[in-house]
Amino acid sequence: MGCASSIPDKSAGGLNNLDNGGAPDAKNLRVKLVLLGDSGVGKSCIVLRFVRGQFDPTSKVTVGASFLSQTIALQDSTTVKFEIWDTAGQERYAALAPLYYRGAAVAVIVYDITSSESFTKAQYWVKELQKHGSPDIVMALVGNKADLQDSREVPAQDGIDYAEKNGMFFIETSAKTADNINQLFEEIAKRLPRPSAPDS
Amino acid sequence: MSSSSSSISSDDEPNSNPKPVDDELSLASVTLNESNGNGSINVNENENNRQDGGEIAWGRKNSEVEVEALSSPSSSGYAGERGSSSETTNSRIEDDEIQQVNNDDGFVDGVNHSRASPWVPGKRHVDEDDASISWRKRKKHFFILSHSGKPIYSRYGDEHKLAGFSATLQAIISFVENGGDRVKLVRAGNHQVVFLVKGPIYLVCISCTEEPYESLKGQLELIYGQMILILTKSVNRCFEKNPKFDMTPLLGGTDVVFSSLIHSFSWNPATFLHAYTCLPLAYATRQAAGAILQDVADSGVLFALLMCKNKVISLVGAQKASLHPDDMLLLSNFVMSSESFRTSECFSPICLPRYNPMAFLYAYVHYFDDDTYLMLLTTSSDAFYHLKDCRIRVETVLLKSNVLSEVQRSLLEGGMRVEDLPLDPLPRSSISHRMSQQRLLTDSPERFRESSVGIGGPAGLWNFIYRSIYLDQYVSSEISSPINSHQQQKRLYRAYQKLYSSMHEKGIGPHRTQFRRDENYVLLCWVTPDFELYAAFDPLADKALAIKTCNRVCQWVKDVENEIFLQGASPFSCATDKAEFAALMLESYL
Repeated sequence: MGCASSIPDKSAGGLNNLDNGGAPDAKNLRVKLVLLGDSGVGKSCIVLRFVRGQFDPTSKVTVGASFLSQTIALQDSTTVKFEIWDTAGQERYAALAPLYYRGAAVAVIVYDITSSESFTKAQYWVKELQKHGSPDIVMALVGNKADLQDSREVPAQDGIDYAEKNGMFFIETSAKTADNINQLFEEIAKRLPRPSAPDS
Repeated sequence: MSSSSSSISSDDEPNSNPKPVDDELSLASVTLNESNGNGSINVNENENNRQDGGEIAWGRKNSEVEVEALSSPSSSGYAGERGSSSETTNSRIEDDEIQQVNNDDGFVDGVNHSRASPWVPGKRHVDEDDASISWRKRKKHFFILSHSGKPIYSRYGDEHKLAGFSATLQAIISFVENGGDRVKLVRAGNHQVVFLVKGPIYLVCISCTEEPYESLKGQLELIYGQMILILTKSVNRCFEKNPKFDMTPLLGGTDVVFSSLIHSFSWNPATFLHAYTCLPLAYATRQAAGAILQDVADSGVLFALLMCKNKVISLVGAQKASLHPDDMLLLSNFVMSSESFRTSECFSPICLPRYNPMAFLYAYVHYFDDDTYLMLLTTSSDAFYHLKDCRIRVETVLLKSNVLSEVQRSLLEGGMRVEDLPLDPLPRSSISHRMSQQRLLTDSPERFRESSVGIGGPAGLWNFIYRSIYLDQYVSSEISSPINSHQQQKRLYRAYQKLYSSMHEKGIGPHRTQFRRDENYVLLCWVTPDFELYAAFDPLADKALAIKTCNRVCQWVKDVENEIFLQGASPFSCATDKAEFAALMLESYL
C-alpha cells in the first residue's frame, strides 16, 4: 500500500481521454469501465469470457492493469464500446488504482462467492469509489464463481442487500460456465446515462 | 566430501545425491570481512588466515563441525599448461565439478535423460519446510527476509512455515553485525552460505553447487534488483514505520518472476556477464526497427525496447538516458514470466533499479506474437493512450518492413554455430592436428570417451561467448552438440562463471588470458579492454589450435558484427576495429 512512490496526481486527467473523443453520440457510446476486487476473484476471467469467449482455468496473475475493449449492440440499436481496465488485485497496486478508475463511467467490483474475505475487500472498493470516483459512476457488484455452490461462503442475499444499500446493480456470474457474463455487461449498458439524447 | 557417506536412502527424492542430512546445516568457519574487504573468499589459504573473527557452531542434531574439509587438489585431472597466474588458486574446483556432474546431471549414465521436460515456471515444493529432508537436500536455496527475521521469499517451501529458519538466518547476521562486522560467507562442509544485506532487506543463498562466491553474490544482487523492480526501494519506508512489517503480501503473485530469474542463472549468460544480447538480424532490418523506435522515443517516451524472448531487436533511449543491461535483464524477465502480458496490452508501474531505484516508471507492454514484444517506458502515469498510439505506429511500420517475419525467421535459424566457423585461410595445419587429436582420443582413459563423441566446431570448439565491452553486448554461439541438454548447458555456464569471476577477481586480477584444461573442457578466456572471449573446447583439444581458433572466432564476430550487435546504441561503436588489432595478439600472450 504505502509503497507507491509516485501516487498519481489527482488533478490530472488520468487514463481517461474518452471525453476528448469528439462529440458525444447517443447511438454509439464509448465508456471506460474498470474492474476492481481482490486478487484471484476472477476479474480477468470475466473480461476474457466477455471479450474473447474464452476461459483459462490456469491462474494468470494480472500485472498492473490490462486494457481490452469490446463493443456490444443493444436492442434499441445503440452500440456500446466498453474500454475495459482489468486491474491487478494485488495489494501493491492498490495505491495505483485511482490511475485506472479516475474518469471511469462504470466500475465493476468483483468478489468470489467462496471467499468472505474477498467480499470484505469488495466493500472496501465500494467505499473507495464513493469517496474518490466520479459522482455519477455506475457501479456493479459481481459475485463470481457462482458455479462453486458447494463452497459458497457469501450468501447471495448478502450481496443483494449490500448492493441495494449502496445503489449498485448486483449479479452473480460464472466466468467458467459463462453464466450471466453477457447479462452483466448488457445490464450495465442499459443503465448508462445517455448523453445528449433528447428524451433520456 | 559429500560422496563419502550415504546414510540416507535416496528413495524418490528429486536429488539423487545421498548425503548426510546433518552435515547440511552444520556450519563450520565463518569468514568475516570488513566492508572494504576484497574477495579472497575462494582462496582457502587466505580464508583460514582470516578467521580471527571467531567461529560460530550452528550444528543441528549432529554437532560435528567441519572446518574447511577440503579435498586435495592433487586428485584433479587438471593438466598443467599454465597460461595465467590465477589458475593455481582455483584448481581444487575441478574436483567438485566432476562430483557435481555425477550427482546433478546424470551425465555419466547417458546424455539424454536430462533433456526431457522443459522448465515450467512457478514455485515448486510449497509443501516443504526446513524440517523436510527433501527441502534440506536441495542444492541451491535463495531467501529474502526482513531485518526482523520475517520471511519474504524462499525459492523452495512455504515462506510462512520457514519463519523459524528465517529467524535463524537473521540471528546470524545480527550476531555478526553486533560485533561491528558483516558476514559475507559461511562455509559448512560443501555448502556455502552467502549473505547480502540491503538496508532492512536481507538476502541469503545456501548452495552446494561450488559456484564462486562472487557469482552467488551477483545472483543475490539480481534477486534484490528484481524485488526493487516490482516495489521500488521506497519499500524501505515501510520498515522505518514498522520494523516488523510483513512484506509478503506486497510481493503477492510474483513467485513466477523470482523462480524464472533463478532459473535463468543456469541458462542466461547475461546474468553474470552484465551485458545484453541481440537477435541476429540483417543490418537494414534492425535499422528499420530502430528508426521507428527513435521516432516514438522523440515523442516523449523514455525508453523504447523491441525484444524477442530475452534478445534485443532494437532499443532507443530518449536523449541521454541509457539503460543498464541488468535493468534490461530484470525487465524482460518480469515481462516474460508474467503471463498476463501476453493476454492483452498492459500498463504497469515498474522500477528500473539501476536507472532510479526510488521511482516508478510506467511500462506499456504489448506482444506482437508469441515471442516478440514491445516495451515503452515513460515517467508519466497517464500516458497510456499516447503509448498505445505509438505502439500502433510501430506495429504498422514493423509489418510493412517485414521486421516481424524476419524476426521469426531468425528465431528459427538461430545464431552463430561453432560448426559454421569459417575455415582458416591457411588450412594446412588443421588436418594433421585433427589426426593427432584423434590419436589422443583413443589413447585416453575410457572415462572421458563418452563426453568427447560430439562433433562441435573446428579444433574441438564447443561453444564461445564474445562480450563487447563498449557495446555492453555479448554474443554466444548456439548451444549445440556435444552440449546437448539443459544440464550440460548449465554446467558449461557454471564453468564460464568460474572463469569470469577468476578473471575479474579483485586483488589478484585483472588477467588477460587464461587457459585451463579439466575433465570436461578446455576453457580459454581472453580479456582485452575492448572485449572478452570465453571459449570451451573438447577436453583433449590442442592448445595451439585452440588459440588459433579463438582468433578466428574474433575475426568471425567482426565479420558479422552488423548482424549480431546493435550498433550505434552507444557512442563508442568503433570498438571492433580495436578488436581486430587485438585478435592478432592473442598468440603472443599465451
